[in-house]
Amino acid sequence: MSRALGIFFIVAAAGLLTTPASGADFPSKPVKIIVTAGAGGGEDTEARAIAPYLEKHLGTQVIIENQPGAGGKIAFEKFQKAEPDGYSLITYTFPKSVIIEYQGKTNYRTADYTPVFAWSRSSQLLVVHGDTWKTFGEFLKAAKEKPLSGGLSGRGSTTHLMGLIALDELGIKVNWVPYEGSAGSVTALAGKHLDFTICLATSAVSLIQAGKLRPLLLFSDKRDPHLPDVPVPKDLGFDMTYIPTLRGVEAPPNTPAAIVKILENAFSKAVQEPGFIEVAKKRKMVLQSVSSKEFGKAVADIYPKIAKLQEMLKN
Amino acid sequence: MDVVLQAIAFVFQWQNLAALAGGTIYGIIIGVLPGLGPSAGMALALPLVIKWDPATALIFMGALYKCSNYGGSITAILVNTPGDASNAATILDGHPMCQLGRGGVALGLSATSAMVGGTIGMVCLISSAPFLADFALRFGPAEYFLTAMLALSLIAAVVQGATIKGLVAAGLGLLLSTVGFDVITGELRYTLGWAPIEDGVPLIQALVGLFAVTQALVLAESGESISRLARLSGGFWEGVRTYFRYPASIVRASLIGLFVGVLPAVGQSSAGLLAWADARRASKHPDTFGKGDPEGVLASETATNACMPGDLVCTIALGIPGSVGAAIFLGVMIIFGIIPGPLVFTEKADVIYSLFVALVLTSFVVFIIGMTVGRRLAVVTLLPNEVIVPLILVVSLLGSFAIRNAMPDVMISLAFGALGYVMLKGGFTPIPLLLGLVLGEMVETNYHRALMISGGSYSIFYSSIISKILILLTVLSLAGPYLGSFWKTLTQGEK
Repeated sequence: MSRALGIFFIVAAAGLLTTPASGADFPSKPVKIIVTAGAGGGEDTEARAIAPYLEKHLGTQVIIENQPGAGGKIAFEKFQKAEPDGYSLITYTFPKSVIIEYQGKTNYRTADYTPVFAWSRSSQLLVVHGDTWKTFGEFLKAAKEKPLSGGLSGRGSTTHLMGLIALDELGIKVNWVPYEGSAGSVTALAGKHLDFTICLATSAVSLIQAGKLRPLLLFSDKRDPHLPDVPVPKDLGFDMTYIPTLRGVEAPPNTPAAIVKILENAFSKAVQEPGFIEVAKKRKMVLQSVSSKEFGKAVADIYPKIAKLQEMLKN
Repeated sequence: MDVVLQAIAFVFQWQNLAALAGGTIYGIIIGVLPGLGPSAGMALALPLVIKWDPATALIFMGALYKCSNYGGSITAILVNTPGDASNAATILDGHPMCQLGRGGVALGLSATSAMVGGTIGMVCLISSAPFLADFALRFGPAEYFLTAMLALSLIAAVVQGATIKGLVAAGLGLLLSTVGFDVITGELRYTLGWAPIEDGVPLIQALVGLFAVTQALVLAESGESISRLARLSGGFWEGVRTYFRYPASIVRASLIGLFVGVLPAVGQSSAGLLAWADARRASKHPDTFGKGDPEGVLASETATNACMPGDLVCTIALGIPGSVGAAIFLGVMIIFGIIPGPLVFTEKADVIYSLFVALVLTSFVVFIIGMTVGRRLAVVTLLPNEVIVPLILVVSLLGSFAIRNAMPDVMISLAFGALGYVMLKGGFTPIPLLLGLVLGEMVETNYHRALMISGGSYSIFYSSIISKILILLTVLSLAGPYLGSFWKTLTQGEK
């Protein structure tokens, strides 16, 4: 009898350990955040900046693990099969993963992941050399006369897609010159080897402040508080779609809602900590809390947009 | 001038000296471990220093970043395993020196290189960073293409004596450099659907295979020890004395290192290789290179140590990182509220000059550590092969794994280990292969970019003054060996 009881208890205990669905005891061990790029980049720095505050609100240790390679594809494919127990999360610059899906065969789908929370949003900026055009109007006039050369942080990257949208709307032709990352294209622009480049504000901020480069247009529906003088297309009478980029975390496919809720709460509190806000300010990040539900909608919305742009890419 | 004096006073406060020493030691340890480079080291140390005073924290990070290269040279010399890609060329002569029982001398050379190369680089950085940054900006795609061609022309000097085998290896290296994502067209090439090589053949993993694994295989063939003599001859100070016997090589290597460092789009791994190949070409006895010539160690290490300050030129003066390590250092600076860029020299002069003074000082701390600790490590080479072979394999493969936390990387290292072994037995040298692998992408992508900008006109390749000089240098480099005695007089002075 006592032996049967013992077995019963063991089975029950095992059952408790393997059914995290209730989320009642979550988190009971360290939570791992996977960064899809090497240590020290933007994605990595933001993850490491938020980790201590997340620890505070989650009540457990947070570990950052870097899984770079193939633009994040290696990490994304591994994550598709990760245990949906809330203990492994992934952070990256959305919609990077969706773009990779359209570039070739992948063994994952961003739509399958469970969105948790996103904390920042950034928009692309059209930048020229400080010695050249003063306003977007002057730039547009020159671009209509002859094709200009424009730097990209990568073929098929968000900057490329945004560039294609802009060309389509503005009716101009451009010789695109792809680089690996925005450092290359920004350097080439600063040396006047290119006519303009499209990049995130954070990539060019110091050269803009020094007057070496000049931002002419922000691809967004509202102005960036860090760059209040830079117009958005709406101000100039253009109507464009945008590819906003989000930085946030997702959980593996089929993560139980109760666990997502706990994580989402902890993240939303962590991003309001003054220490994190301070770091964000220094990095010129535009903080904006995006809930699990809104993040999910952003994922669903982006697929048709990128599908359409990939068609344009082929031409 | 005042600002420099203040910076010196600041650096000599006890907590800053402690941060400097701590960063240096931590950097050397990070460097010794293959797979853990300065990038990972800085990221791991960030939580530790985040609450410190910004200038003190930057001194710690700067020292760490600067010294990991010296740590890497220790393993390169002693066990043929590069701690980081930048130590690739140090292996070529450093390890053969070890086999001749002169490991202590090689360690003396590398510590002196860290001091001299680092100081020369820092002096250039402090005195002319904004000027050098403007010079770097004048390099567009066409100039980068020509620079890479000039570098490739060095292969001609490297393969002298075994031309066909050398060219085969160089061609193989160039072919391997085309593997992966093509930046220009966005296509995947030769990946056979295997994700780990979509970014191209990973350099450090390939290096670990080509040198460490190959070395382990060779050692396993005999029951002796790395040092074929049963005792060590020559010590640290002999290395130091030897170093200063080659002033011309020191200057050349420093300039090459600085040049490669200042250009944001040329990888740090090229600096040592190019300086090594250049020293071999200029030498009167090129045959001894690769067989334990102290000048080879000197050239490679001096260049890589001068490269790091060069790397910081664009990072600090323009806010554009020159390498992965520099990108992380840039991120660290931003977190501490120092936004690098043209304005930083006036707005944050105190912090920047404290950092510079500390980095100069670091060069000497490295030397002292090398003198007290480093040289004792040479006894490793007396360990029997039964002990050292498993040790090399475990440490190097672990390092290869640690870079991306991925098992396929270990496979890549093993494959390159097998390739290295076959090449060695067939009488091929891996150096042209390395040069091809490192430079191939730079040649290809910049050629494309230049033509995209010019709209297909080839005039872009010779229109600027810099282009013309680079073309002239390349022609001289290729034709040099055929110009005979005239050339010798020109480059090496009257004999």
